[in-house]
Amino acid sequence: MEKITNFFKTFLLLELVKGMALTGRHFFARKITVQFPEEKTPQGFRFRGLHALRRYANDEERCIGCKLCEAVCPAMAIHIETEERTDGTRRTTRYDIDLVKCIFCGLCEEACPVDAIVETRILEYHGEKRGDLYYTKPMLLAVGEKYEEQIAKDRASDAKYR
Amino acid sequence: MINIEIDGKHIDVENGCSVIDAAHQLGIYIPHFCYHKKLSIAANCRMCLVQIEKAPKPLPACATPVAEGMKVFTASEQAVKAQKGVMEFLLINHPLDCPICDQGGECELQDLAVGYGGSASRYHEEKRVVLHKDIGPLVAAEEMSRCINCTRCVRFGIEIGGAMELGQAFRGEHAEIMAFVSDTVDSELSGNMIDLCPVGALTSKPFRYSARTWELSRRKSISPHDSLGSNLAVQVKNNRVMRVLPIENENVNECWLSDKDRFSYEGLNSAERLTKPMIKQGGKWLEVEWQVALEYVSNGLRQIAHETGAEYIGALATPHSTLEELYLLQKLVRGLGSQNVDFRLRQSDFSADSKQTGAPWLGMAVADINHVDRFLLVGSFLRKDHPLLASRVRQATKKGAQVNLIHATDDDLLMPIANKEIVPPAEMTTVLAQVLKALAAAKQATLDTSVQQVVQSVTPSAIAQAMADSLASGERVAVLLGNFAQQHPQASQLQLLAQHIATLCGAKFGFFGEAANSVGGYLAQAVPFAGAEHGMNASAMLTAQRKAYILLNAEVELDMQNPQQALAAMGAADMVVALSAYKHHAMEYADVLLPITPFTETSGTFISSEGRVQSFKGTVQPLGDARPAWKVLRVLGNMLNIPGFDYNNSEAVRDEVLGGTDVSAKLGNVLHGVSAQNATWNVTGLQRVSDVPIYATDAIVRRAASLQKTRDAATPRALIHSVELEKLNLQSGEMVKLTQGHGSVRLSIIADDSLPRGVVRVAAGHTITAELGAMFGTIRVERA
Repeated sequence: MEKITNFFKTFLLLELVKGMALTGRHFFARKITVQFPEEKTPQGFRFRGLHALRRYANDEERCIGCKLCEAVCPAMAIHIETEERTDGTRRTTRYDIDLVKCIFCGLCEEACPVDAIVETRILEYHGEKRGDLYYTKPMLLAVGEKYEEQIAKDRASDAKYR
Repeated sequence: MINIEIDGKHIDVENGCSVIDAAHQLGIYIPHFCYHKKLSIAANCRMCLVQIEKAPKPLPACATPVAEGMKVFTASEQAVKAQKGVMEFLLINHPLDCPICDQGGECELQDLAVGYGGSASRYHEEKRVVLHKDIGPLVAAEEMSRCINCTRCVRFGIEIGGAMELGQAFRGEHAEIMAFVSDTVDSELSGNMIDLCPVGALTSKPFRYSARTWELSRRKSISPHDSLGSNLAVQVKNNRVMRVLPIENENVNECWLSDKDRFSYEGLNSAERLTKPMIKQGGKWLEVEWQVALEYVSNGLRQIAHETGAEYIGALATPHSTLEELYLLQKLVRGLGSQNVDFRLRQSDFSADSKQTGAPWLGMAVADINHVDRFLLVGSFLRKDHPLLASRVRQATKKGAQVNLIHATDDDLLMPIANKEIVPPAEMTTVLAQVLKALAAAKQATLDTSVQQVVQSVTPSAIAQAMADSLASGERVAVLLGNFAQQHPQASQLQLLAQHIATLCGAKFGFFGEAANSVGGYLAQAVPFAGAEHGMNASAMLTAQRKAYILLNAEVELDMQNPQQALAAMGAADMVVALSAYKHHAMEYADVLLPITPFTETSGTFISSEGRVQSFKGTVQPLGDARPAWKVLRVLGNMLNIPGFDYNNSEAVRDEVLGGTDVSAKLGNVLHGVSAQNATWNVTGLQRVSDVPIYATDAIVRRAASLQKTRDAATPRALIHSVELEKLNLQSGEMVKLTQGHGSVRLSIIADDSLPRGVVRVAAGHTITAELGAMFGTIRVERA
């Protein structure tokens, strides 16, 4: 019985009609395509984009070199070296993130006890050569300085859920 | 035996055993901080509270002795509630700075807080602040607010270290751990306090903030320094040794490590490391390839062997070299046709050579030291030369052992000394003869003819008599000779007399041994008398200057008995080949420098003074072009066409040396064919007494930066009795000129009335005193 129904369906082109109907519906529906980069989709305050290292208001870097982000990173994208700074505090001498390895899971910012490493809303960054996406400490700090206002606002919005 | 029940499991334990020990025997873990199996019970952390049937309140498991039929519940509601309560109190004042704390990841408080701590604190008041302290270059006490006042460090100082350098001052809320008396912790065992501290209050200063514990991989190794052969866990990150911790071995180092073993790793990463083979040409050092350097060496040695004779080649190695290295060195030298090889660089009396039944060793197991009840220690800076053996002797004295000491200096051993005789080096044999005479009288024994004559000519002093009485009354007696006695110009006389004393009182008799492979050197045959023909010993090789020297790890001006003579011999030689891990003074006199690796970068074997054979593997890759010395010697053997140099690994070399034989059969301290002579040492003027300071013993520690900042590594000074000082018309603290032979140095002179008259104490093994002559002998003191 099923064989016979299928046989007739093939002649009636029922699937084609169904498919064209869907196309037709979308043809007349309101368009949702975003014309990037002129237009942008809205982002949540927890958006996980380019990393940044933050500083305190007094310009002191937040990172204390605890290496919890390095330990938690599932892609092993973070490399840190520490030593005792002249004032006796624990500080990093090297803080590198290989963005090619990074999977943007956000565990690093989750692990950070001082909110030093954060992921910003920036997603439009690129590298032209091999190694351009290997971000070192000064680069990460520069990102942090540039977008501090936005980062601080996003942290504040997220604070009540933590 | 008492039967008790813990968490439903029954066990029979000794009377007097604590509940926590019984639980550990059953494999039940009771959380604790202040309890430590090697320390006394303090019961002040209260973390080990457990419920005991019929007791109205929870009791501390560490301080509660077992009783027949006792029922203990370690995880009952009451016990856990009590433990959680204690944890909450401990966390009240503990700063939550785990992310920057070096203890983070290996912290007992952190671990237990996971199980017993609350998720949030109920305490909102201000936390207690304890000021940081500077207690020396090794132990960091920078964050004393972290301290939970368990007093493990204090008890360690009193009970194991022998001196209470840290103490707990003030009471209650204000209680804090602080260094008193000298403001710093100068114990040679201070590093153990870092291990003992359950929190991050005491941490390692050299390691501070350099890595986190979870990044380090842990590899086993053996200490290359003193003759104990401590078991090490070398912790490595990115092919670099980051720190060293003890591996527990009850028969060797227990759970301790001396600071020398623990912090010497800094020397491994020293900037002075030699990383490329170098050849001196036209007075300039050139870095060359291995092939070039080795060809240069083999051609040079072959030429000297052909032209002047192989006996003009001499080899000097330090006893810190591995068994394999020493064996291949002697095989190479003997293959060339010379017998001149020696590793006993600081020895001056070689008259016992080949008259001994075997390799000189401790004469007993290290663990047995704890059970000895009478000691006779001859010529030993015990605390500085063998920190952990000293600690074992200290443990024995706690159980009532009497220590009798015959030495030339009266350094504080931090243990009760029953009798001591502090005499100039030349009189040490006389004192031993006196003790022997008194002992023979006490035991009514007839003495062997070899010592009879000497003994007849002495009259025992009151102290010698007391020593003899002390030794005669013992059941388990040990007669032990230290480094000083081995370096002494009458070493074999001292050995002979001590041997007879030991025989009379049925004692164990032995040597502490100078370095990690002092026993191994003999078994590797790196001594001139090992073959059928006898060659020259370390001292003779310098007196009768050789044309070529091969130096293995040796820095002659620091490692040898007579640096002046050594430097002269090196200067006069046609060819000096230095196999060294470091660029050192050999740059002045050597022709070739071959970069070899320290113990962390090679596999090898050390035989400790108790005859324990301990092999180890390399823990990191060799630095730069440096290569393990056994490989270098193997290739040199091939290039010189010496047969039997086709080893594939160091284990093959070891098996050839030891060949499955019983090492203990090759050990023996008994002298034959040596007879005691009346003191023939003609003493004129002031005599030099030298110790090798604890942090100057070998190439690695000499480059360990933090150890070099300790008090033990202070610039050497000349010490002298105040009466002698007055005779010289000098003031204490004045700069003086000390002269031995044709060399002189300027040091400040300090009055020290604990020294015997007629001696000047000047450290050896230090660059400042390298201009001087032999470690013993006449020394001239004059105003600078």
